[in-house]
Amino acid sequence: MVDRNETVNGVMTLSATTATEDLVRRAQNGETSARDELARENQRAAFLFALHLVGNHDDALDISQEAMLRFFSTLDRFQSGRAVRPWLFAIVRNQARDFWRRSKLRRHESLDESIPDLSRALVDDGDDPEQSAFRREQQARVWRVVSRLPRAQREILVLRDFHDLSYEEIATVLGIPMGTVMSRLHAARMNLRRKYLALASHQAARSDS
Amino acid sequence: MSSQCRNDFDQALLSGYLDDVLTQQDTQRVRLHLETCTTCSHLVEEMKTTREVTMTSTFATPPDDQWDERPSAGLSRLSFGLGWGILIIWFVASVGFALGQLWSGPESLTEKLLIFSALTAVTLLLLSVLIDRLKRLGSDRYRRIEK
Ligand SMILES: [Zn+2]
Repeated sequence: MVDRNETVNGVMTLSATTATEDLVRRAQNGETSARDELARENQRAAFLFALHLVGNHDDALDISQEAMLRFFSTLDRFQSGRAVRPWLFAIVRNQARDFWRRSKLRRHESLDESIPDLSRALVDDGDDPEQSAFRREQQARVWRVVSRLPRAQREILVLRDFHDLSYEEIATVLGIPMGTVMSRLHAARMNLRRKYLALASHQAARSDS
Repeated sequence: MSSQCRNDFDQALLSGYLDDVLTQQDTQRVRLHLETCTTCSHLVEEMKTTREVTMTSTFATPPDDQWDERPSAGLSRLSFGLGWGILIIWFVASVGFALGQLWSGPESLTEKLLIFSALTAVTLLLLSVLIDRLKRLGSDRYRRIEK
């Protein structure tokens, strides 16, 4: 989806491929088929990012659908040469924030910012059954811990280690300077590791007794 | 197991190293450090494994037909609102005009009363439908949040 074609300060910058650029331009001109294709290419990613922010399927669907509507209603302001994902993800994040503001009035928000266990939303993509049993267990453990990270750490972690965004794109989504990305991401990874080890030793202690 | 590095080394560089975003000079610095520091080389391996685990994860996503629902619902909501807006403006203007005509018209008081009550009835009916639709729209939008 992206070309790696420029280098600034030793860091790759990303721009949209000509195919995506063309698609965006056609969608901006109101071409329905182009809008449909753009939606198809991006709505799943929008849903997954929303899911990683709120941890609940129905709410994530609500948030990402609102985000897609907003994405298309602001499309003419989008510069077609840029990558679509960071722009869309920033919208998803804003929608999620609105959602928190609304839902905080209606239900208790956990103080530690943890969300419902994401591992329950995992599905098996089922290749090699033996290999995948081990992988599945690993995945379940990691995502359970991701659900317990503070919001700021969880979002930067999934942007890099699930959605595979570049540092520059992450900076765009979060509205932070690019120089901050590495340290914040590393802090998130270290916290994930710490909590993961704590969970593993807790489970080991339980199975011993 | 502690992840603290004994040397005076910025461990955040390990993430940059893993993600391949460091300058040549910093990459070289990390490489040299990893040769001598087992704590940090372990950490890099662990982070790499974790990234593989998350990157290969698959989540349940909504079926395609659930997607088609909402954007059109959003559009229809817009046209719904617009339609009602125009209808109300038209209605208020028409009723105002009719009442003005009626007041200055040559009809008898009975005729005036009959036309006036008919207009009132239509207004009330329109109002009840509008209130009903608005209520349903409101509960629809917050359905998922309320549970
Ligand atoms: Zn070290």
